[in-house]
Amino acid sequence: MIAFIRKPSSAALVFLVAGAGWFVLGTLYGMTSAIHLVWPEAFNNIPALVFGRTRPIHVNAVLFGFATTTLIGAGLYYVPAVLRTRLWSEPLGHLSAVLWNVALLSGPVFFSVGVSQGREYCEFPWWADVALTASVAVMAVNLVMTIAVRRERQLYISVWYFMGTFLWTATFYPIGNVMWRPSTGAMPGLIDSLFLWFYGHNLPGLLLTPLSSGAAFFVIPRVTRTPLYSHTLSLIGFWTLVTLYSHIGGHHLLQAPIPAWLKAISVVDSMAMLIPVFTVIANLWLTSRGRGGRLLADPAGRLVAVGIIWYLLVTVQGSIQSLPMIQRVTHFNNWTIGHSHIAVLGFSGFIALGALWHVLPYVTRRQVWSQRLVNLQFLLVTFGLTGFLIVLTIAGLIQGQGWNNGETVYRMLPTITSYMVLRAVLGVLIVTGAIVGFVNLILTLTRGQRFTPRPIEEPDLEELE
Amino acid sequence: MKMTPALLIVGGLLVFWSAVFVMVILPIATMPQTPSEIWRPWTTQEQEGNDLWVSNGCHYCHSLFIRVNDWGLGAERIAQAGDYHQQRVAILGTERTGPDLSQAGGEHPDDWHIAHFNNPRWTRPLSLMPSWAFLGESDLRKLTAFIQAQGLKAADERMQRQLRYGPEARAAYRRGFDANVEWLHAQVPPVWRAMPNPYPPLEAALLRGHKIYQDNCLGCHGAIGDGQGPAVPYLDPPPLNFTILRKHLVEGRYIGGLLYYQIMNGVTGTSMPYFKRDLESEKIWDVSNYIAVYFIGYTDANKEPRGIDAAFEPPWPHTDTPPTTQRSRP
Repeated sequence: MIAFIRKPSSAALVFLVAGAGWFVLGTLYGMTSAIHLVWPEAFNNIPALVFGRTRPIHVNAVLFGFATTTLIGAGLYYVPAVLRTRLWSEPLGHLSAVLWNVALLSGPVFFSVGVSQGREYCEFPWWADVALTASVAVMAVNLVMTIAVRRERQLYISVWYFMGTFLWTATFYPIGNVMWRPSTGAMPGLIDSLFLWFYGHNLPGLLLTPLSSGAAFFVIPRVTRTPLYSHTLSLIGFWTLVTLYSHIGGHHLLQAPIPAWLKAISVVDSMAMLIPVFTVIANLWLTSRGRGGRLLADPAGRLVAVGIIWYLLVTVQGSIQSLPMIQRVTHFNNWTIGHSHIAVLGFSGFIALGALWHVLPYVTRRQVWSQRLVNLQFLLVTFGLTGFLIVLTIAGLIQGQGWNNGETVYRMLPTITSYMVLRAVLGVLIVTGAIVGFVNLILTLTRGQRFTPRPIEEPDLEELE
Repeated sequence: MKMTPALLIVGGLLVFWSAVFVMVILPIATMPQTPSEIWRPWTTQEQEGNDLWVSNGCHYCHSLFIRVNDWGLGAERIAQAGDYHQQRVAILGTERTGPDLSQAGGEHPDDWHIAHFNNPRWTRPLSLMPSWAFLGESDLRKLTAFIQAQGLKAADERMQRQLRYGPEARAAYRRGFDANVEWLHAQVPPVWRAMPNPYPPLEAALLRGHKIYQDNCLGCHGAIGDGQGPAVPYLDPPPLNFTILRKHLVEGRYIGGLLYYQIMNGVTGTSMPYFKRDLESEKIWDVSNYIAVYFIGYTDANKEPRGIDAAFEPPWPHTDTPPTTQRSRP
């Protein structure tokens, strides 16, 4: 045990395994919720499986559990690697992992029995908020010290994103969760929604996006074996991300009675989000220019490449749907659910999976047990998610147009039935993809062919700079 | 520019905190904190209902604010900042799988809500809501109190209406079937009472009526219109039995306008909701014809007084003669 928590990359491994486990749990709860929308009496009067309780378990398990946890695991490998050092303290990394996963476990345990703070993405009980914040803070310290003891003078862009993630999350998480009011975790009155959506949009903005970008900037140049296209674009992409993304939470409240200037800032900055997104995507695309074949031939590289396409889709969609005219139709319905799925599972999830399979051999010193299973997972999740986007977008447009033209919510319910059925069927593909990935990960740990990467002190990183 | 650790950490935090200032601190400092004209504080029970609402995730399907472009339930009032003044936890919501409930207070009496919580499909056959019976009677009462407070003072006014007509309706029910129907008829303006259904009960119209009845009515009034739907044990007064309504035709002839008016407007104080928002004119006439033909056994469709035939109407000879039945004496 002591030997394990001192072993290089062991904390990364814990995060990676946990992430794959959360993927299975999170999608199973998503499946449960999807069944509710087809067959509301499927789990009749089983309190732990009532929709209002399974949905937050699903959302938190995939957002914090699957995507974030996996991306942290990958980062704990690649940050020391590009800094040509080791994680400053592997035991502290394990402390972060324990605090993080204990906080996340409070979701399935407490929401199941009807204990929840309710606000979306802020449902964890107060003590779990404390544990999660402590985990992030410990990680930030660990990373600052890792940077301090680095042997590579230059800070590669992945390090900026990974470091930034923990600095920002350690601050926006307590603010958004209103942790100074432990009994409710909410401000009284309407002002609470400003806290909630400032936080709510920083979750994808300053947690998922930088983690995913950092991983993509690591994996893509490695797989294509090309140097990063532009340092300047990297700088523009990074600084505009934190400047703009932190100002757009108000677009969740465009139709609610909040100050007009706040709505204006949110819409303008939502549109301006195209700057960091296009910058990052262009930088990655141009890095792999002429070597796209290598990216697509590599199972992990393919996942990351498709993750970047989801990034493009989700952000262009996000910017457009922040326009008030569009939002009259798209707000409150399944359109938004489609959007959030391609954000968390598409953009962050695909990059998390790609990063997982890319770094796993270096972390475990074993080859991935089956690249064909990685490809199978890719196919299952890609088909599932593409179908999700189509089906939920159609359902959302039907609902939104109906409501906007005088139909009641009740009257529109039968119009989405067939789409909810399709969505549940597609969900089976995604759950299967999660299970295939978990099995592959476990078999890699136990049966993967042994493999000795070059020592971490001298990784093949010249080409990255 | 070269990225150094100092630039990364100090710069990253500075930019982030400037965003916190603009998006969080500035609104706190400048947003007016005044209650709106409908505002009142919650009672303890309403607050406990709010806690149940929050911890059980009701807000994942029910939003709590009305927008300018909304039509349905509660659209009489666009949400204002002061409506949420000092509320313990005000979750506006992001999704409407069910209707917005921010103005739902007083739309239905309490017993409708209790039936709805026990099995949502008993009062709303198409509902996707799970059953909340497992919460138990006391918690369902708290949740009901919370919903009946949605709209605050405006909801209180609506509740006053429920409380005013409720005892009257129950008393009429207790006086026996005939007295009850007479009371119900008396609640309909005279002009509607002597109004026949203007549209013929063609086969297609009856099929439409059948679907509308299944989607909206059968949880309470039952599949055969005898007022024995599964919601009945929860409702006081219980739903009307249509099958013995034929002896209560107005002037021995009319029933269409009565049905139309009661479906459109509901019977405040009872669990009969208004369907004005869910059903447009044609659908209400169709379901009225369906009830008349299948459950009452007589329709006054197309009888005098009538205007000119509608453009779409095929010829339909009215052959029904009003049933002759003895009124039973109480």
